Amino acid sequence: MRSRRNSIPAYVVIVAILVVFLVWTLFPMYWMFSTSIKQTVHVFDLPPEIFPSAPTFEHYLHLDQGSIKVSIFFMNSVINSIGTVLLALVLAVLAAYALSRVKFRFRKAVSVGILTTQMFPLVVLLIPLYLLYKNLHLLNTYQGLILAFTSFTLPFSIWMLKGFIDSVPIEVEESAFIDGCSRLQILTKILLPLIVPGLVATGVFAFLDAWNNLLFPLMLVSKPSMKTLPPGMILAFAGEFKHDWGGMMATSVIVSLPVVVSFVLVQRFLVEGLTRGAIKG
Amino acid sequence: MQASSEKMERKRRWLRNASSTFTAIRFLAPALLVMGVIIIFPILNAARLSFYNYELTKPKEIAFNLFKNYAYMVHDKLFWQALKNTVVFTFFTVVTGLLLGLILALVVYELPRRFQGLRGVLLVPWVIPGIVIGYLFMYMFDVEIGVVNYVFQQMGIIKEFLPWLMRDNLAMIAIIITHVWNQTPFYMLMITAGLMAIPDEAREASYLEGANRWQEFRFITFPYLQEIIVISSLLMVIRNFNFFPIIFTMTGGGPAYATTTAVLYIYRLAFEHYDMGYASAVGTFWVIILIIVSALYIRTLRERF
Repeated sequence: MRSRRNSIPAYVVIVAILVVFLVWTLFPMYWMFSTSIKQTVHVFDLPPEIFPSAPTFEHYLHLDQGSIKVSIFFMNSVINSIGTVLLALVLAVLAAYALSRVKFRFRKAVSVGILTTQMFPLVVLLIPLYLLYKNLHLLNTYQGLILAFTSFTLPFSIWMLKGFIDSVPIEVEESAFIDGCSRLQILTKILLPLIVPGLVATGVFAFLDAWNNLLFPLMLVSKPSMKTLPPGMILAFAGEFKHDWGGMMATSVIVSLPVVVSFVLVQRFLVEGLTRGAIKG
Repeated sequence: MQASSEKMERKRRWLRNASSTFTAIRFLAPALLVMGVIIIFPILNAARLSFYNYELTKPKEIAFNLFKNYAYMVHDKLFWQALKNTVVFTFFTVVTGLLLGLILALVVYELPRRFQGLRGVLLVPWVIPGIVIGYLFMYMFDVEIGVVNYVFQQMGIIKEFLPWLMRDNLAMIAIIITHVWNQTPFYMLMITAGLMAIPDEAREASYLEGANRWQEFRFITFPYLQEIIVISSLLMVIRNFNFFPIIFTMTGGGPAYATTTAVLYIYRLAFEHYDMGYASAVGTFWVIILIIVSALYIRTLRERF
């Protein structure tokens, strides 16, 4: 129940502020898309065309015709991100279960330790990690990247899932425990179905993390055929292609689309999970 | 007799504890192993390298040199500039993002329920990949064809086109604007969660007692939001202390070192100058700073729960 009704002038102010914010939020995205469908000659127009006069998909079609193929980066991004989601979910569910349901010594220390690793700057560990990966022959591999992405998405995933498991009443599990189910059975048969929204939210987060990560693939992958989209973009738009704005924006649309779509689809879960994970810590 | 049953009880409790510790280890091991190998081990290794003279271009001169890297750091003007840049960048990004996020959260909260779906639209900048944001704003801030210059000129804010990304202060401003665009939704989300947690009775009571809008905000809403504001600001300080992709794509830390923050400085030392030893020293220093901020953050969280 809302105690206060808004008067008409108050509504005018609210709507005005909102319009400003909507323009501020949406314009850059619109600009990205509209540039991507402008003909190359019009990209450089001054004053710039707000609405493309002769829309074209030439930039999208060109993305795969040069020596650098965006579709290969895209496939690599998909493989690495999905691999990360699967691995991170399995590891995070197990760890979150232990932190939420098992009483053991150092539980607090372990929880706080996990939270802290999330804060480490990625740049610092790249140097030794590069040397380590070289020795383990993990450079230029999917396994290597998936492990790296997973390690950085785990702290948040664990905390978020812990929040979801904490909110499930423990009584059901207790009776199952007395009936002789093992902990793993309780986890997979009873708990998991109850925290599906949490799994979806965590999975999407792991996906975003892996999809958006620039530094790991930039350093740990040198073969163009193994690069993901972010370092691939850097490769594609360096040197002579630095001002290929049309192509650059078309690639940007393609890089953004999967994350924006998955975000919109699961937004409700995501918001719930995020506030849970971030606030309750 | 009684003594022995007490003993039995203690033994049973110990066994249960031991077995639950064992269970915990089994469940936690895979995650901790991955994080240990990929994060902890390299961080410790970086701390070790920070005591070495280690330049990739001079493999013969690799040697232990104790605190020489750290001694150099104290007198390194670029290092201090990078720290200053980080503080300036983080301060303005967090303060502006927070203010805008607060306004946005309050405004959307006032809307009738069926319009609250707008929140989802307003959240989108937050999930767009950093690299895309970097390229997009680099394009929009371009000196020749950038739409920012055009719009500002039409609005009469600037007379002629500005070389945003090529002049020291302008480059910093451009980067701050870009990050604010990216991060405002996060604050909006956190503050909205805070708003939802305010009991209706509190607002109602203030209304019945004749408080005006500002008083309601000042004495009811704001006190409730304080904690969430502190928490999200600390979280964002940490995030901005670590932030890389947008600056890397927009300016690469330039012009010269004008937008080189701590992490960009570490990156440039390691991968442009190949000075691994010194890069590790700056990196280790930075990890320590981040641990201090994280400790603050975790303490704030604990006080709450």
